[in-house]
Amino acid sequence: MKGYSVSRRALLKAGTGVAAASLLGLKSVSAQEKSIRVFWWGSQERADRTNRAVDAYKKANAGIDAKTEFAGWSDYWPRLATRVAGRNAPDLIQMDYRYMFEYARRGAIVPLDQYLGNALKIEDFGKANLESCSVDGKLFGINLGVNSSCAVYDMSAWEQAGVEPMTFGTNWDEFASKCAAFAKGNKRRRFYATMDASGHEPAFELWLVQNGKVLYTEDGKLGFDEKDAGNWFKYWADLRKAGGCVPADVQALDKSTLDTTMLTLGHAATVFPHSNQFVGLQQLNKAKLDITAFPVTKGGKPGQYLKPSQMWSIASDSKLPEVAAKLANFTVAEPEGTKILGVERGVPASSAVREQLAPDLDDVSKKVVDYIGKLGPYTAKLPPSPPKGAGEVFTVLERVSQEVGFGTSPEEGGKKFVTEAQTILKRG
Amino acid sequence: MVSYTAGVAVDKRPAKAGRFSRLFFAGNGAGYMFLLPWLIGFLGLTLGPALASLYLSFTNYDLLQSPQFVGAANYVHMATADAKFAAAMKVTFIYVILSVPLKLAFALALAMAFNRGIKGLPVYRAIFYLPSLLGGSVAIAVLWRQLFAADGLVNSVLWLFGIDGPSWISNPNYSLYTLVVLSVWQFGSPMIIFLAGLRQIPQDMYEAASMDGASKARQFFRITLPLLTPVIFFNFVIQTIDAFKAFTPSFIISAGTGGPINSTLFYTLYLYQEAFGFFRMGYASALAWVLVLIIAVFTAFSFLSARYWVHYDD
Repeated sequence: MKGYSVSRRALLKAGTGVAAASLLGLKSVSAQEKSIRVFWWGSQERADRTNRAVDAYKKANAGIDAKTEFAGWSDYWPRLATRVAGRNAPDLIQMDYRYMFEYARRGAIVPLDQYLGNALKIEDFGKANLESCSVDGKLFGINLGVNSSCAVYDMSAWEQAGVEPMTFGTNWDEFASKCAAFAKGNKRRRFYATMDASGHEPAFELWLVQNGKVLYTEDGKLGFDEKDAGNWFKYWADLRKAGGCVPADVQALDKSTLDTTMLTLGHAATVFPHSNQFVGLQQLNKAKLDITAFPVTKGGKPGQYLKPSQMWSIASDSKLPEVAAKLANFTVAEPEGTKILGVERGVPASSAVREQLAPDLDDVSKKVVDYIGKLGPYTAKLPPSPPKGAGEVFTVLERVSQEVGFGTSPEEGGKKFVTEAQTILKRG
Repeated sequence: MVSYTAGVAVDKRPAKAGRFSRLFFAGNGAGYMFLLPWLIGFLGLTLGPALASLYLSFTNYDLLQSPQFVGAANYVHMATADAKFAAAMKVTFIYVILSVPLKLAFALALAMAFNRGIKGLPVYRAIFYLPSLLGGSVAIAVLWRQLFAADGLVNSVLWLFGIDGPSWISNPNYSLYTLVVLSVWQFGSPMIIFLAGLRQIPQDMYEAASMDGASKARQFFRITLPLLTPVIFFNFVIQTIDAFKAFTPSFIISAGTGGPINSTLFYTLYLYQEAFGFFRMGYASALAWVLVLIIAVFTAFSFLSARYWVHYDD
């Protein structure tokens, strides 16, 4: 029976072979002719709209197939990175400003300049909206919509509390006294004027800019010190003490998704999302919502900025980059496609598209477009790209803000945050 | 020709040189053919990736660039400079130390109640087993979030008694304990095994003991517990390994953050964050191997200690 036996060496060889194959990532079976894959993050609402747009494109272009797939924000990036590593990246990828630089500089996505004027007719996006999607002078993203941070509040809740809600130009001190007044007038149990935004990075960043600082400098270092961070934590600690914002154990229920905002959970009358999320947020909330700018710093600088809420990028592994570019173009520049997507991903970068959409917009979408239109005086220029490790620094901000919420002093919190953030940036 | 079963069952002398290779490779061709599907799966999906991760644990690898060899740097960082690693270790050990004994005690108590010959036992058994089937699932973790949130069911009930409860799952003083409760609630599988173990104990021992005037408590400590030790040992080892590997409850309930303030940062969740949140595949691999080591050492100690407290019939 010797013929059947397997030598240990052969087994070992087979084992290492398999191990090596899994290490290198086997090349996937190549896709069908003219079939591309599209991948994005976002809500069900976004998925419905995007799928309809892709279907409309397929109908108008026989012989082209596009398979779509979406995930939540936090699942999206690991999945995308795994696929890129496995040389199995989707052709058309929804990209974020935070990740674009890394993907572009490592050659995972391709420059799009060669398609400008032919497959991509997006010159009318304007210089600012093309530059905000560029890395080292080359275009790597197709702007899917412009957004900014914002304040969203429940109109009737403020009315019931008998306090005039915040508006454009309300400063931080005024906001605090409004919230304290809200606490006096409020009758609902476990309900407060505002979320606790001390661990919310966009809020901290714009507050820094208003005070003449930045979150990250051009060379990827921290642009603020312990005192700045301490002051920020102190503002919210005072507000918390006055009953103006939700307590720490309630804020910790917020999982950075629209269905777990303090507004949706029924714990606060004001939250600070991104402006394009207003559409999704209104859909989740029965109460009528309104959108306005963040509080300003008295005598400070404008702190908000307009950024691409997301963009389309094309994977360097794509065998049909031109098909992908054409589909992307359909969703951002052709009336048939732009009408389906609407302003759910942000306000379209092209003024022609904005004008074309204007008459058909519902009230909710109109509020978003108006908001971006009015934001001019409150905006500064786009900050430099965040350095490697920025994502982890964000988690530290959240954690330290919770520690302050549960009893650590704001000064100590400021020290802790800066020390840990510097360690992370050094490690990269 | 040496038969496999004969070799194992009969021969207790130390193996001679060459015996090993004859035992495993001579004349067992057909056996290996039957084994092949599993073997391919094991080599390709378990051993291969495991070896790859051992290599990766000595590199920096962020998926986008190829791995760079850094020697033992990942292990050194873990031991000397990683406060979050220490936090994750603490959380995991507290979880293991609390949840395993509580769960086993609970499972044993219920198994003993069932062992008295209740009518409709199979139905009860099925009902009580249900949480274990569901417990590891996402749906139950979501349910837990609803139960123990600020406005959850638990607080609504407390409110009826005039108690204004905290938001259990999002308060670092309580959050880990809600996860321990979730784990204890999944007592089903150790309970079934205990029940089977209890059935093995000969009834005449109890009869003899009660004739000699032994109390119920004495019978429990002198008959039930000693005779049940093999089953307790089995449950203990399996449950402890499971507890070390716990991931889903914290991942869902804290939305992957391990928060608030790292209070529910299970070791495996930290590993996941490093790998898929911050793309440090090398470091995450090192973390994985440290966990393997911890579980291996723990299991080895359990088996070594077994000879002092586990009583086998023979």
